[in-house]
Amino acid sequence: MMGMKKWMSSITALTMAAMLFTGCGSAGGNNAAPANNGGGDAAPAKPQGKLTVYVGFQEDHAVAAIKKFTEDTGIEASMIRMSGGEILAKVRAEQGNPQADVWYGGPADTFVQATAEGLLQPYTSPIAEKVDAKYKDPDGNWTGIYVGALGFASNKEFLAKKGLEAPKTWEDLLNPAFKGEIVMADPASSGTAYTAMYTVLKVMGSEEKGFEYLSKLHPQIQQYTTSGSAPGRMVGMGEAGVGVLFAHDVIKYQEEGFDSLELTIPEDGTGYETGAIGIIKNTKNEELAQKFVDWALSPAGQEVGKTVGSYQNLTNPDAVGPEKAVKLSDINTIDYDVVEAGKERQRLIDKWSVEVKK
Amino acid sequence: MSAMFKRFKREPLLPILIVLVMLCLLVFIVYPLFQIAKSSFVGSTGEVGLEGYQRVLSGGGLFHALVNSLVLAVLTATLSTAIAYVFAYTFAYVKVPFKKLFNGIAILPVISPPFVIALSAMLLLGKQGLITKNLLGLENANIYGLHGLVLVQTLSFFPIAFLTLSGLLRSISPSLEEASQNMGASRLKTFLSVTLPLSVPGIANAFLLVFVQSLADFGNPMTIGGNYSTVAREIYLQAVGSYNLQAGAALAMVLLTVTIIVYILQNFWVGKKSYVTVTGKPTGQRRMIESGAVKHGLFTFCMIMSIAVIAFYALVPIGSFIKLWGINNSLTLDHYKYVFSIGQKAIKDTLTLAIVATPIAGLLGMIIAFLIVRKRFFGKKALEIISMLSIAVPGTVIGIGYILAFNKAPLALTGTGIIIVAAFVVRSMPVGIRSGVAALQQIDPSIEEAATNLGASGSKVFTSVVLPLIKSAFFSGLVNSFVKSMTAMSAVIFLISAKYNLITASILAQVEAGRIGVASAYCTILILIMIVALILLNLLVKWMGGKERSA
Repeated sequence: MMGMKKWMSSITALTMAAMLFTGCGSAGGNNAAPANNGGGDAAPAKPQGKLTVYVGFQEDHAVAAIKKFTEDTGIEASMIRMSGGEILAKVRAEQGNPQADVWYGGPADTFVQATAEGLLQPYTSPIAEKVDAKYKDPDGNWTGIYVGALGFASNKEFLAKKGLEAPKTWEDLLNPAFKGEIVMADPASSGTAYTAMYTVLKVMGSEEKGFEYLSKLHPQIQQYTTSGSAPGRMVGMGEAGVGVLFAHDVIKYQEEGFDSLELTIPEDGTGYETGAIGIIKNTKNEELAQKFVDWALSPAGQEVGKTVGSYQNLTNPDAVGPEKAVKLSDINTIDYDVVEAGKERQRLIDKWSVEVKK
Repeated sequence: MSAMFKRFKREPLLPILIVLVMLCLLVFIVYPLFQIAKSSFVGSTGEVGLEGYQRVLSGGGLFHALVNSLVLAVLTATLSTAIAYVFAYTFAYVKVPFKKLFNGIAILPVISPPFVIALSAMLLLGKQGLITKNLLGLENANIYGLHGLVLVQTLSFFPIAFLTLSGLLRSISPSLEEASQNMGASRLKTFLSVTLPLSVPGIANAFLLVFVQSLADFGNPMTIGGNYSTVAREIYLQAVGSYNLQAGAALAMVLLTVTIIVYILQNFWVGKKSYVTVTGKPTGQRRMIESGAVKHGLFTFCMIMSIAVIAFYALVPIGSFIKLWGINNSLTLDHYKYVFSIGQKAIKDTLTLAIVATPIAGLLGMIIAFLIVRKRFFGKKALEIISMLSIAVPGTVIGIGYILAFNKAPLALTGTGIIIVAAFVVRSMPVGIRSGVAALQQIDPSIEEAATNLGASGSKVFTSVVLPLIKSAFFSGLVNSFVKSMTAMSAVIFLISAKYNLITASILAQVEAGRIGVASAYCTILILIMIVALILLNLLVKWMGGKERSA
């Protein structure tokens, strides 16, 4: 036992040293790219290599989509789900050594910002010509894959108890009865909330009037959540009375059993998100990434969503969207200028933080 | 010169070890922090300036977040340390039933992601809360904000304080207290003049640990903070939402400064005293308090706390089988189906990386503690400060720092497992260091000197003399490392890649999407993994060092 102990002690010390050494050694001397970017020469017959995808929509949808892509094309792909803001931060940080090939989903406003910073690799898919011009970048930096309008989620019990109607216009949110009962996300962290903010400026007719409205809305807000879909859960659970979020998220919550949710679409005009896809600059798997974009724009790629409870409208006219989706043609949408929204994003968020949120 | 050579000959591993430890700390802590410091002065367009700092200190939103965080940290640390001390004291000094149960309960909050407690708090105390709505009939209970955060953080972090304190209180030699009582001092007088002063370093350590944990906490403010903004959340919003790395980094630098000041103050105050109570002489068994008001009072307190913790934890496994909490309470296995179809990879990756990181963090923590307490060498203070730095920086910032630092050759580590393991180690090591230091400060160096004089090498002394004596601290360090790694979120949210995904990131996504059932299922699995791991670690420690000292 004594010998054993002695042996153990030297082994421990040595292992320790070896671990530290190899840890730092490989850190110091290894500048090879991670293994998941293998296969530089793509054989024309069967694509070599493996794709890495950053996904900006819900996890279950993401997993189903990647699985279907591999089934349809035989190309292996791995994915990680993050929020739009996180993806942009990550892609920006990894500029020198991109860790992913494709950015799949999330609001186009962030893609616009990424384009301005030169983070995306232009690619115009042959299928992209079917997509309406307002849902894509003319230079092919990003292409829209789905579209979803903003709406209000109200808690039916709350409305009944207070004897209120569900809000039908943005002005309705200023009703004193809703004081401290409204939740929306923080525009700084959430693409959804930024879409709402930009929408309000458009609906009110000018930036000045829009900010006047936002200042009046501020005391009505119970809290600003980090994530865009969180208000739906809070309203569904009765934590708050009314939430501002995307209609497709409200429908998803309703389908998951939040029966107390009532969905209304602002009649005085509502904005919408264009979910986009783009290829990350300096990808080592450009050919495969392009195949992925082609697939994501095809009906096969776009129709995965409705099998897992995603209720956005699809941008490919040949694809059959979910029945329950709120169609943009049925509602009063504003002229949502994605490019302007992306360019103005930083300035407007900063202004809101200073003037409204204080 | 010859003296140095002799020292080297006797302990050939020591200098190598010191250099290696230093090198790792420099690469994985100092360099990323340097990158963050650099970013805090550089704007998005590359101009150098103080704009970031102006934003933090100009009394706007960022400044409020800083004040908020400090208020929260003081409240949480005070409460947690007090509760933990009462718990630990009861364990060491009072004969109460259910000790094993209490111990398990005290450790429970440590083995789950903090924001789960936040979720339970909503379910128990929110507008639809079991307690608030169904028991008390309150209409408008609001759990969001400072009070909710203090509650949730205290529940989350008091076990850390408890782990630090219980080992320490158990190792206080009864002979001093007996001497005091034999000379006619009352129990209270003995407690105030012997036990309490002896536990000062432990209390200070516990307070410090919880304080920085609270400052760096990211999950709870994200879920239950309401409009009470905190630094970690604000850094996240600045960096991820506004893409303002400069302001985020500046805020982190200010926060870091605050933490360092607190640390120096405490070190100064605690470090002045000597706490040698392990003398090498055989110690008797402690006489336990077996009756009286003290026993009943402490027992009742522990019971109430335990029931509270159980209430918070029962919800997680229960919630994992409920279709939709408070709305549709039918039983279902759907959430587990979802986890096992979609979350398999995350579970496997997290487990693998945590298993790699745990021994590294545990050993590194102990070695650093040993070096700090027992050895004198050039750069010791630097080693001490650097190794404690990591916990002070909000994890989100460490994450960004790692991406900034390890994205280019020669240190291209982004997307690898190494970077996540490094983050795990860096984030969990300080706990091990603190408990190691607290334990080592109680051991009289003469024991080691005796071994050295009898011809044992440095490593031999460490493994045969020091390690057995600090085993409980080492064990709690291992447990903490594993648990921290399994439940780490803020630091690694930037480091996860398609190759390595983590459970906590999945849970956060589920929480945000409102799938509380799925999040609960993940957590239940996580807690089960922890329990199994705790049992295994316990066996391992027993096997490595013979019998545990009797508790």
